[in-house]
Amino acid sequence: MSDPAFTPSDEDDLLAAEVALGLTEGEERAAARTRLLTDRDFARRVADWQERFVAMTDDIAPVTPPAKARRALLARLFPGRRAPLLQRLWLWQGISVAALATVAYLAWPMLREPPMRTPGEVYATRMAAEDSALEMLAVMDVARGDIALRRVAGDAPEGRVLELWAILPERAPISLGVLPEGEVTRVALPAELAPRAGEITLAITDEPPGGAPGGVATGAVMAVGAVAEL
Amino acid sequence: MSSDREEIEKLIAKVALGDRAAFEQLYDRVSAKLFGVCLRVLNTRAAAEDAMQDTFVKIWNNSDRYQANGLSPMTWLITIARNTAIDRLRATRKGHQDIDTPGLELAAPGPNPEQAAVAASEASRLSGCLNGLEEDRGAAIRGAYLEGDSYADLAARFNVPLNTMRTWLRRGLMRLKECMSA
Repeated sequence: MSDPAFTPSDEDDLLAAEVALGLTEGEERAAARTRLLTDRDFARRVADWQERFVAMTDDIAPVTPPAKARRALLARLFPGRRAPLLQRLWLWQGISVAALATVAYLAWPMLREPPMRTPGEVYATRMAAEDSALEMLAVMDVARGDIALRRVAGDAPEGRVLELWAILPERAPISLGVLPEGEVTRVALPAELAPRAGEITLAITDEPPGGAPGGVATGAVMAVGAVAEL
Repeated sequence: MSSDREEIEKLIAKVALGDRAAFEQLYDRVSAKLFGVCLRVLNTRAAAEDAMQDTFVKIWNNSDRYQANGLSPMTWLITIARNTAIDRLRATRKGHQDIDTPGLELAAPGPNPEQAAVAASEASRLSGCLNGLEEDRGAAIRGAYLEGDSYADLAARFNVPLNTMRTWLRRGLMRLKECMSA
């Protein structure tokens, strides 16, 4: 609606005031919202009105809300905070106490995260296979995007290297790289795998030096394990 | 006051980084004011508690947008509380539309440091300026802000045609702005 008494700039200001008050309706309201997001000057006008109108609350006396409101809010925002990682480690089934200590060792950097950081998804697995002496433990921290690995037993066959693979249903195995010789190592978890982290099975094959030619596994599976959430 | 402002700004900045302790501090610091505002709009404690809870959820979820909108921190917080309470009030009325989406109404596209928002000294003139308006116009603006009245509600309250109400109110707003920046 235009009023001959107003300039276009006044009209902008009035529309901004109406937006701040919540008086716009229907199509006008939709158009004003779009403008708010795209027109910096208009958004500034709305903010200025909010700043002016807020003075209407100056004489509203503070009222301390009941303690239960605070508890309810925190429970709603931070529901069922996950058990601390260390506790989850102890609850993890299917792993020996000795192996558990190793997993805890691997998970140590995650355990030391600042307490404010809500621990994200963490998965772990023990990888082994029949006919193979190789045994590896892996802890996968989705938020950090890495997998910590520790070789518990076994080694690569002479003249071969160990290559780590992520296996997801209905996908070709994805190489996570050749593992260095050391006992403990970390490899990156590709970001594209993060959303399906819980479905991953980790596997290790033996490959020619330099890794599987063409990114396709050629050697025997020396250890395999599906991840489980800690 | 300015150190108050700085402290609240710092808390909001920490909340934007997901700092839960800062969020609790912010709650302890401003919840009484925000609860007072919700109570003023909604009148019943139960409804006001719900509105305040929704307000803090929005604060938690949108704190990263605070820096961008150029509002003073208390204005930002109170505006979310006011809009949330008004939405709740309007939800009980016919044909209501949400007015509050912190991502939209409260987000200005980018900070504008050299062009400061309305100065506190100007805002403090609101009351006097509202009182200086022709009586019905001041009451209409208060009704829209604190009671969530629509133009139709106001037209009914003052018993005038809707277009007349709108013209009145808009002229009142213009006068208000002139008075406050004078």
